[in-house]
Amino acid sequence: MASSKTTRSRDVKLLGLAASGGVAVGRVLRLDEHGRYQFYYIGITAGQVRNEITRLHQAFKEARVQMEEIQDRLARELGYKHSYILDAHLLMLEDKRLMTELEQEIRSRRINAEWAVRDVTDRAVEAYRHVHDQYLRERASDIEDVTTRLLAILSGHAKFDLSKLDEDVIVVACDIWPSTVAELDFNRVLGFATDAGGMTSHAAIIARALRIPAVVGLHEVTRLIRTGDTIIVDGGTGEIILRPTRPVIRQYAEKRKRDVARLAIPIAQPSEPAETIDGVRIRLRANVELSTEIESLALFGAEGIGLYRSEYIFLNRLPELPGEDEQYLIYARLAEATGEAGASIRVFDLGGDKLTLEGYKEEQNPALGLRAIRLSLKAEDIFRTQLRAILRASSHGRLRIVLPLISTIPELRQARAIIDLVKREMADRGIVYDAEIPIGVMIEVPAAAMMADLFAREVDFLSIGTNDLIQYLLAVDRANENVAHLYQPLHPAVLRTISFLVRAAKSARVPIELCGEMASDPIHAIVLIGLGIRTLSLAPASIPLIKNAVRSIELARVRSLIKDAMKLASAAEVEEMLARELPRQAPRFFAAWPSRG
Amino acid sequence: MPPIREHLVEAMQERRVIVSNRLGLHARAAARLVRRATQFTSSVEIIREDTSQTADGKSILNVLLLAASRGTSLIIRTEGPDEERAASELVDLVEQKFGEEISDGLF
Repeated sequence: MASSKTTRSRDVKLLGLAASGGVAVGRVLRLDEHGRYQFYYIGITAGQVRNEITRLHQAFKEARVQMEEIQDRLARELGYKHSYILDAHLLMLEDKRLMTELEQEIRSRRINAEWAVRDVTDRAVEAYRHVHDQYLRERASDIEDVTTRLLAILSGHAKFDLSKLDEDVIVVACDIWPSTVAELDFNRVLGFATDAGGMTSHAAIIARALRIPAVVGLHEVTRLIRTGDTIIVDGGTGEIILRPTRPVIRQYAEKRKRDVARLAIPIAQPSEPAETIDGVRIRLRANVELSTEIESLALFGAEGIGLYRSEYIFLNRLPELPGEDEQYLIYARLAEATGEAGASIRVFDLGGDKLTLEGYKEEQNPALGLRAIRLSLKAEDIFRTQLRAILRASSHGRLRIVLPLISTIPELRQARAIIDLVKREMADRGIVYDAEIPIGVMIEVPAAAMMADLFAREVDFLSIGTNDLIQYLLAVDRANENVAHLYQPLHPAVLRTISFLVRAAKSARVPIELCGEMASDPIHAIVLIGLGIRTLSLAPASIPLIKNAVRSIELARVRSLIKDAMKLASAAEVEEMLARELPRQAPRFFAAWPSRG
Repeated sequence: MPPIREHLVEAMQERRVIVSNRLGLHARAAARLVRRATQFTSSVEIIREDTSQTADGKSILNVLLLAASRGTSLIIRTEGPDEERAASELVDLVEQKFGEEISDGLF
């Protein structure tokens, strides 16, 4: 533990993972507990009961004041008609019966106010889940909303309005969740620094997409710094400097200038085709998590959505599950927004380190546990609801279904049988859907990769998910800083596996595409194209950069380069060779590209 | 239909009413009902006739948990000094679809 003196000392250097390049200097905005609120179970003594009950009353009062303010603002901005959206919320805070129940809970079980609130409202939410009327069932979210607010107040977190920052900030947090990002005012965010996470953490992915410098995996940055302090984030080296002195700031300001110049690579226009010099067309599609990203697709020139991560619908929602109608509206919007290019919807990839469904315990080894398709096949009702929603939406455009984390052929067959069953039920009820909706598997498990030739016979397309495939192939958790250096997308084993997959797809005459972080890196993207991939799905904001890389290469030459790369002994050798050869092959692009490490 | 007790037990009112608005007793409708109920001194109980599930008419959580969709038959039972006015005003409110048919139902 650092003493209070050292925690305030200057020029404190911390090293984390370089998640997104560039240098940022600015003031800290510290987000607490990644936008969700933590709370604890605390047993209390008889003497503390009164105090807890007072805290409870104060929290209710404070929550009422906040809700009334929000209601006033809604009335002002949306008109009176909408302002009573929150009527039920306010009444809950005036609900004497609820208060009595909470007080009793605190008294009889001798627990803290936070825990009482959580327990009592959980029971109410649970009761709601058994309601038959779907619309009413979804109202459980109103209770959750009030609960979250109460817990936030009780735990002493002030609600921070992230959408209207009035100065430029560097966001420092334990972790940053997409739901928090959705609230951020991007124009004001200069950089990210987080305690948690590896290269594929949300903060890292988002930072790269926005081209904002970021360092993750810092362990204790939130403990050492406060909102308002000055911080330097060097996303190229993974260094951050807390409370820098003037000379250090000057030094980094210089570096920042150089970085900006190096990164000022010409960006392709949305109207220009992603075509190599020798005329090979590459399809660049978008990975989408939040439905708010749909608007950016045209801006970045994405050809439809190659990967819609549907589990993000759950964010901030559990334990409530999104109903069929709600999902249908989202999928229909995706279908309509993407037109001919279409959208591939990956069915829920829940479980593991992502969101867990209620009733399923945390696992010792979640990456190898009950997640993705395994969970869908087990929680079949949730899977069916999602399939019905996708199928209904498929009549609005060109949707495709992608099954994640398939490792065996029988799993695929089981999933397909359920899809067929749902289709038949819908046909019987006269519901319109795309009977020919393509179904594909994500190749993420090495076992599935080895069986790709057989999978290819039973699906309409293959989709390689590199984030997981690399993790499983190399047995490396990229979020674990101790082994993150072993996470090597250019490991010859990765290249050989992808090459094998491309050949398997080709001989079965089945389309193959690739989605994952790899596709967002220009060098990696060129390697993938050299390996025979023609459709890449990536973060929308990275598309212009990758398109420019594609337009700078001659495929025939890259192909022979990659053929040689596959024979090399290590990722380092591959990287060295690419660093030597690519600037020669594509000087216009790579002369300006910063070299690594 | 079972007979409705009215003035049978001293100091109590019971009225039957059918939920007729499209979305049933959803959040906003329930909020209106509870708001109105709390204006009376009398106690207000709302009972689903089919399941006998009983809610305190002054508790939003209770009322919401009735999950009364369109067509549900409710008994409104009031007891206290203003029980008659309470019963008839609450019945009116339900019959008049909570003051307005809430159009889109998105909230």
